[in-house]
Amino acid sequence: MASQIVMDHTGDTRHQFDAADAAALAKAEARFRALTKVGFTAAVRTPSGDVALTKTFDPTAEETLFYPRLVGG
Amino acid sequence: MLWFRRTLAEVCSRIFAVFEHFTARLCEDDSEARSLKLLREWLSPDQLAQFDAHGHFEVVGCDTGKRYRIHYGSSMNVEELDDLDRPRICYCFVTDAPLAPGDVVLAQKIALETGERAALAVANKFTPRKRLPVSISL
Repeated sequence: MASQIVMDHTGDTRHQFDAADAAALAKAEARFRALTKVGFTAAVRTPSGDVALTKTFDPTAEETLFYPRLVGG
Repeated sequence: MLWFRRTLAEVCSRIFAVFEHFTARLCEDDSEARSLKLLREWLSPDQLAQFDAHGHFEVVGCDTGKRYRIHYGSSMNVEELDDLDRPRICYCFVTDAPLAPGDVVLAQKIALETGERAALAVANKFTPRKRLPVSISL
């Protein structure tokens, strides 16, 4: 199961989906677009363990993390 | 009778307020625990070891190769280090939505490792101050 983790006031909300299910994949892609459109940054972990940003939906990503826009504090 | 109803309404209102207060505190604690769990999942093994030992960890900026120390916290918790591991500059940048400290720290780590210049462009700078040790227990 792949998952999309969205940081929020509860800590995070996790959306799990089966990447082999076309409908679930479409829903995950829609979620990706909706979140990035409102300013969330999407990050994935590479097989080597490094973190990389992703601007487009990656249907093969096991785990995608979304965090809100950063501002000066 | 009217006095009794008013008093009863006031008592109910106060009980409800106390209940709301404690519910909010419970949610707050829960969100902090969840954010800490997520942070630990996304730290590299070296960073996790530093975090467990000291309550902070280091990241390397992707653009300049500079080293930063990120302390557990929600503001003024990022320090640029010099060659002797001393803080040179303190940066403050946070998520625009209020999040638990673990989430803020994780967003800061990813931002510095993947988009250092963009992160520092929005950050406010401060002169580093001496920090007191922080213990993290959830």
